[in-house]
Formats: sequence, C-alpha cells, structure tokens
Amino acid sequence: MTNLADSQPRLEEKSAKFVPGQPDMWMFVLFETLLFTGYFSVYLVSRTQNEQLYLQSQADLDLRIGVFNTIALLLSSWAIARCVKASREGAYRSALINALLTVSFGLVFLTSKVLEWVKEIHMGNTFTSNEFFQHYYFLTSIHCIHVLIGFIVLGVAVYQLWSPARRSQQLVETCATYWHTVDFLWVLIFALLYVVR
Amino acid sequence: MSTSTTESVTVPDPPADSRVGRFVWNLRYHPKRELWFAWWVMVIFYQLYGVLFFFVTRVQPPPSPAWDTPTVVGWFDDHSLGVRAGFGVVFLVAGMCAPMNALLAYSMRRMSVSRLFAYSYLIIYSLAAVPGMLVMAIAMTVGALRPDRDPEMIHWLYDFAFLSFSGTMGVFMIGSLVYLVAVLLDKNRVFPKWYGYLSLCNALTEVVVAPAWIFHRGAFAWNGAIAWWINMVVFVLYTGVFIVLLRKLIQREDFGTGPLPEAVR
Repeated sequence: MTNLADSQPRLEEKSAKFVPGQPDMWMFVLFETLLFTGYFSVYLVSRTQNEQLYLQSQADLDLRIGVFNTIALLLSSWAIARCVKASREGAYRSALINALLTVSFGLVFLTSKVLEWVKEIHMGNTFTSNEFFQHYYFLTSIHCIHVLIGFIVLGVAVYQLWSPARRSQQLVETCATYWHTVDFLWVLIFALLYVVR
Repeated sequence: MSTSTTESVTVPDPPADSRVGRFVWNLRYHPKRELWFAWWVMVIFYQLYGVLFFFVTRVQPPPSPAWDTPTVVGWFDDHSLGVRAGFGVVFLVAGMCAPMNALLAYSMRRMSVSRLFAYSYLIIYSLAAVPGMLVMAIAMTVGALRPDRDPEMIHWLYDFAFLSFSGTMGVFMIGSLVYLVAVLLDKNRVFPKWYGYLSLCNALTEVVVAPAWIFHRGAFAWNGAIAWWINMVVFVLYTGVFIVLLRKLIQREDFGTGPLPEAVR
C-alpha cells in the first residue's frame, strides 16, 4: 500500500473477447433485466389481486398499436444488427446508414407511443385512473426514458462511425447491445400489458 | 495532486511485532491515512444510518401515506422515544457526510475528467443531506416532542417529513448521472465501466419515486413496492458497490495523475 512511485501504466487491450462490445454493458443488461423483473413481478402480483379491473382496462388498449410499436422496435434492432455487421466488415458507409435507420425506427416508435398516450388520455384513461393504468403509464414511460437515452447512445455510435479517425468497433457493439436491451424490454412490456389476459 | 508525499522525510519502518505499534505508525506515517479515515467514516456512517433509520426511529421502511390522522398520531405515540433518541444521534453524526462526500469527489478528481464533475457531485450530495436527513429529522422530532399537539399539525409534520425525504431523489439522480459520465469518460481506469452503467440504473430508479407526489397508496406511493422497495434494494446495492470500489481505489492510489495501477495481489 505504501508503494507510491511506480504506477506502471499497462495500456494493452485485453484480447480475451467473450461478448460483443464492452463486457461492462452486459452487466448493465443484467442489472436492467433484474430491475424490470422486479417491476413486472409487482405488476403481476397486483394483477392477481384485481383481475377483473385489469382485464377491463386492458380492453381499452389497442393491440394493433402495440403490435406496430413492437414491429418498429424490432426493425430498429434489425437495423442496428446490420450496422454492427457492416462495421465489422469495414463497410462504414453502410454501417452509418443502418445506424441512422435505427434512429428513424426509434423515432417512429416514440411518436406512435406518444400518439397512443394522447388517445388514451382522450378516452379518460390517465395515470391516476386506476391501478392498471398506473402500471401502463409507468412501464411505458420508464421504457421511453430508455429509448431517449438510446438516442444518445446511438449518437455515440454515429459519431464513432462518422470519422475514419475513430471507428471503435467495441463502442459500436456496446451501443448496439444497449439498443437491443431497449427492444428486449419492450417485447416483455408489450407481452405483459397488451397480450397477457 | 500534492507533491508533499514524495518528499524524502525519514520515516521509521512500521513495527512488525505489535499491533498497537502498527496502528500508531499508520496513524502517524501512513501516506493514505486521510483516505482510509474517510473510507472508514463512510462505512460507519452507512451502518449508523441503517440502524438509526430502520431500527431506532423506525421511519424506514416508511409507514403508509394513506393513514388517517388518529393512526398517524398513534404512530408518533408508539415511536416517540425512538424518534427523538434516534434523530438525536442523527444530528450528532450528520457531519460525517463531509469526509464521505469528499472521498466520493476525490475519486472523480483522480479521473482524467474535468474538475467540474467532482465539484458538481460534492455540491449535489452535500445538498441532499439537508432535505434527505436533516429536514426530515427536524420534522419528525418536532412531531414526537409534544404528543399533546394538535393532531392535524402532527399529521402535517408527518407528510412534510416523508415528502422531504422522498424529495431528495432528483438530486441523487443527477448525482448518479454525474458519476456515470465521469466514469465513462475517464481514461485513468479509476472505476470499471460497469460501475458507470450501474449508476445509470440507480439514476433510473430515482425517477420512479416521482409518482410518490401523486399517490397515497399502491406501488407508487412513498412506501410502495416500486417507489420505495425496489428503489431501496438498488440503492443499497449501489452504495455497497461504491464502498468496495473506493476501497480498491485507495489501495491502488499512487498519488499520480495518470492511469491508476492495477491492484497488487
């Protein structure tokens, strides 16, 4: 502990590669999965206590919008996967186009989500209406915060791909991992809120 | 970074045989004694915080916001001594936040990022102690001090105390985001990147407390499964993680400005 002089900066990259991108981002995937498991458990437990109310309220949600949301995010995940593939092959122009395509699908998702909220509010279903809509607005908005953070993350990927001076494959893959998490969480939220009866 | 530690002052070797001797030597000559002091203050503070808030004053886990006035007054009657004695100790030890926050800010100063991060964090966490601990402690103590006070007034103090406590969440959220950005930008490898992502996780659970201002009961009330229980689990985990990482930081600290050396095993 008293060894103050030699700091020995060892900057060599670890070559062992188990997962795409930073392994640290996979820790985030784990944390988020555990956290959302908690949220989903609370939802499911409160659902069992008042099933009739949940079924009635669920009927007010438009399954078609939910499906459209899901398709938009799945397409965005497909685009980011193509971006990673292109970037690995050195096709940076194609990677960039796919990253921007991911942002576009993300925006489609966000817009349709906001329109759905507006529709529900017009129908009189607000955050304080009942327990189901508390969970509905909570889960969809906390997910939308993840999407908004996702735009910053995709911005990092675009920034990396933009200039030949940067182009860190690891960072591009890390960003893609985050975006896939956003998609993966949505699929679960969609299943729980719209499909499970 | 101070250069005084590299001056060649004749330091006697630590005595090998006596534990007391080694302790005194560490106290007088150990180059990291201030850091270790702050770290121990942090460990002791969180232990005290847990015991005082959870077991002595019993304000955590928080009682229900849905209670009517007689129930709240009854709660104060039942917990009067614990609240006054517990918060008495809280007032006494509140200053322990200073070296603790200083150590957190120190970790950011050791990173290769702007000093603004450490300064912002220091200010944010110092401010959080006011509503999150002191204002709550004052309101609860005032409520418990005179049981014959107007019941409506006691109910008012109860709401005021718990809303003040919950009100620190936005501050903690920004604090966690400051840590997140600092860790991700840092090139000195002070903390692993996953700690940055855990900070994001912690920040996101703080957002979830916001509905506590709307609901009296259910998962989103101030004692709810989502607004309190899940949030507290993540916060305790996060706190445990940064305590361990700060310990490792002190072990690795070389008082330089470049990348931190790896831990010597």
